[in-house]
Amino acid sequence: MIALEAKGLKKCYTAAPAVSDISFRLQAGDVLGCLGPNGAGKSTIVRMLTGLSKPTRGQVLSFGTDVHKDLVGYRRRLGYVPEEPELYPFLSGWEYLEMVGTLRGMERSQMEKKIDAMLALFSLESHRYAAIGSYSKGMRQRVLLIAALLHDPEILILDEPLSGLDVVSATIVKSLIKTLGERGKAIFYCSHVLEVVEKVCSQVMILRKGSVVAHAATADLHAMAGHGSLEHAFVRLVADRDAEQAASEIVEVMAVA
Amino acid sequence: MELAKRSWRQFSSGPFARLVRHSIDRILAGGETAEPGELDLGIGTLLALLASPGVFVAVFLFDRYGSLLLFLRGKPAHFDPYRASIPDEYFFIVLAMVIAAFVAVWKWDRLIPDRRDYANLAHLPIGQTRFFAANLCALALLAGVFAVDVNAAPALVFPLVVCAQESFGVGVMFFWTHMAAVFLASAFGFLAVFAAIGALMAALPYRAFRASSAYIRCAIVFVLMTLLMTSFSVPQKLTPAGHLSKAWSALPPPAWFLGLCQMLRGEKDAAFESLSGAAVVGLAAAALISLATYSLCYGRFLRLGAQTPTSLPARRPARSSWAFRLLDGFLLRSPFQRACYRFALRTLFRGGEQAFALGAFLSLGAILAAQTVLSAPHKAAWEAAVSAPSADVLSVPLIFGYFATLGLWFALGIPAPLRANWVFRFHIDPRCGECPALARRIIFTFLGIALGTICLPLYEHYWGWRVAAIHTAVVALCCGLLAEGLLARFRKIPFTCAVPKFKSHGIVVALLLVLGYFGFTSVTATVESWALADPYWFIAFVPVVLGAAFAIYQAKKTQIEIERNILFEERSSSVVETLNLQG
Repeated sequence: MIALEAKGLKKCYTAAPAVSDISFRLQAGDVLGCLGPNGAGKSTIVRMLTGLSKPTRGQVLSFGTDVHKDLVGYRRRLGYVPEEPELYPFLSGWEYLEMVGTLRGMERSQMEKKIDAMLALFSLESHRYAAIGSYSKGMRQRVLLIAALLHDPEILILDEPLSGLDVVSATIVKSLIKTLGERGKAIFYCSHVLEVVEKVCSQVMILRKGSVVAHAATADLHAMAGHGSLEHAFVRLVADRDAEQAASEIVEVMAVA
Repeated sequence: MELAKRSWRQFSSGPFARLVRHSIDRILAGGETAEPGELDLGIGTLLALLASPGVFVAVFLFDRYGSLLLFLRGKPAHFDPYRASIPDEYFFIVLAMVIAAFVAVWKWDRLIPDRRDYANLAHLPIGQTRFFAANLCALALLAGVFAVDVNAAPALVFPLVVCAQESFGVGVMFFWTHMAAVFLASAFGFLAVFAAIGALMAALPYRAFRASSAYIRCAIVFVLMTLLMTSFSVPQKLTPAGHLSKAWSALPPPAWFLGLCQMLRGEKDAAFESLSGAAVVGLAAAALISLATYSLCYGRFLRLGAQTPTSLPARRPARSSWAFRLLDGFLLRSPFQRACYRFALRTLFRGGEQAFALGAFLSLGAILAAQTVLSAPHKAAWEAAVSAPSADVLSVPLIFGYFATLGLWFALGIPAPLRANWVFRFHIDPRCGECPALARRIIFTFLGIALGTICLPLYEHYWGWRVAAIHTAVVALCCGLLAEGLLARFRKIPFTCAVPKFKSHGIVVALLLVLGYFGFTSVTATVESWALADPYWFIAFVPVVLGAAFAIYQAKKTQIEIERNILFEERSSSVVETLNLQG
């Protein structure tokens, strides 16, 4: 069964499309990595996939149904970690998670138990009653991850979930994504970090200026890159100019008196 | 000349001038949490709003001092413009002082550098003293601009209308003394708030200062409202000045500057002399305290506010969950209501701007209620048990209820950090239509607690159960109708919706609310006092209640389906619409 499908998605904010002709299918257990340079359209795709914005053309389907036909039902099955950890600074981590759990209609005692357990597993137990305003970026990111996982969703959309996390937490989250994939969750994973995508994703989609320039299984993409690394393949696909030449030009401008 | 121009150009494009401009920008609009759609006015709107009270009052002066009107009313043989204008002079001084202080309170958080400043500026090769000097220059410039803005219109009109019949010399003297008094009063208001901030910064630890900031602001607003209300009572004590019975220390600061103004006009009087002395001492003290404490604490706050604070382990707060569980059982029916109700209460008490706005409304209500009680002709009614309370006494909970309802309604519309509202956009069905029900529950909880714990026992104590029950029911009914009217087309989750800088119908709504105040408090209380004496008068409430209920019903009924969706961004309706007729 296809958990999440994008069919010819196009989004226009101005006359020029921000993204166009984006199509992919995500089955239970798939982890799709979405890669692209800044401005490639990753966040626009994420907004359409979460139903926060409507595509100008095309459809987002979940289990065969257009998500906008039953947005509430779709979001019940969805967990989402946004790119920026924007949280209400005057709430404590526990209060924020309680609010999200209640909005999701979770049963109270079960929700409280889950929140406490998750906070402990994500090393936030001692800070759970402190105001989020005093949290570091990594701590906020962990709160967002818990909020996305709290209701055991079937589909996960993660936009730069490792941003701000320390090495230990990042390693845990990488393993978590792999495990969730193995447990049958469909995961859409946006990132700039190639090596992470390489390790945790079963498929990779590379974007350039709003269009898909490569979409293949991670192993196939490796084969495509030949003897070079995935990074070289990625740069070859998306870069407008030679990296070494750009670097030497920057150094020259720096030296101008 | 060319050299001066070049020097100015060099200075204005240099790092210090750029820092001053940056400080002005951040004080006016760009605090750490400010973002488009939050309650941040542009400089033009802000200046217009601040100038408007003075302009309105200046226009009304023609009625009092217009030569034709004075002639028609029979001008006194010895019209002394200096003495006759004392109450108005006092009012302008109070207005100037209160507005300047209010701006300082409003921009409280922006006066101190925040984390973003540190992140952007601290690594640059600019010394801390330079930061401080730039911030100080920006504040002084802004204080000057606000003082000119608030006082310019009345400063021109007031001397013109008062001294229209006098010689040019008298007019000029009146003008400059008035200008001096209001400008110094503005400076005092601004600096006094600074001194208070500085003293608290010096006395409290960083976290405690930040945590108590909203409550301190509410307390200062309460003091400012009280000062504004003194415009009605203090001038009577000052005319004629020779009969001034109280020492200067017993009079509020605006009276000091009135004394200074009269002294500058050559009014030789012991009372004015002591008042003007107090003005000079007060102004100097405010300036010195603010300068000293600000220079002492600025570096500490820059450093502490700057470093990304590491969260310290916190203990579990005192459990209030039993109260929420009780409300979940009786009042809050859906997950939406349960989650948003908790969020609303936490924002109201911790959000800052929201608590500040509610505090301002409650302060105004408390002061008007207190004034009504004090000026009630049947003051004894509070002390001796009589059969029925007077209309003035009955109006007290109505006044408080009116401002509490309005304050809550207003505060619910002030957005908390908007970037965080994605959580509601993501989790909530925009067609759920539960926003009015939620806002109603929040308002009714506050009103219910106030009526049940203050109004009912107080009136029962003085006039027995019958009067207490009837009056509480009348206040609850009126407040309920007011809340229903205000929420008839409410479709926001509290604190999550962006607001436009200026709403075209805002002035009409404000006027309606001022007029509504008199109807809500005076008329209702008068009819109720008649009804308590003669129960047939209760019939008078029936058509009013039915009419109001019908109007609210109609407003809800005429709302089309799309207008019921939850709103996350409110836009002001444009005056001119461009139609796209090209298809």
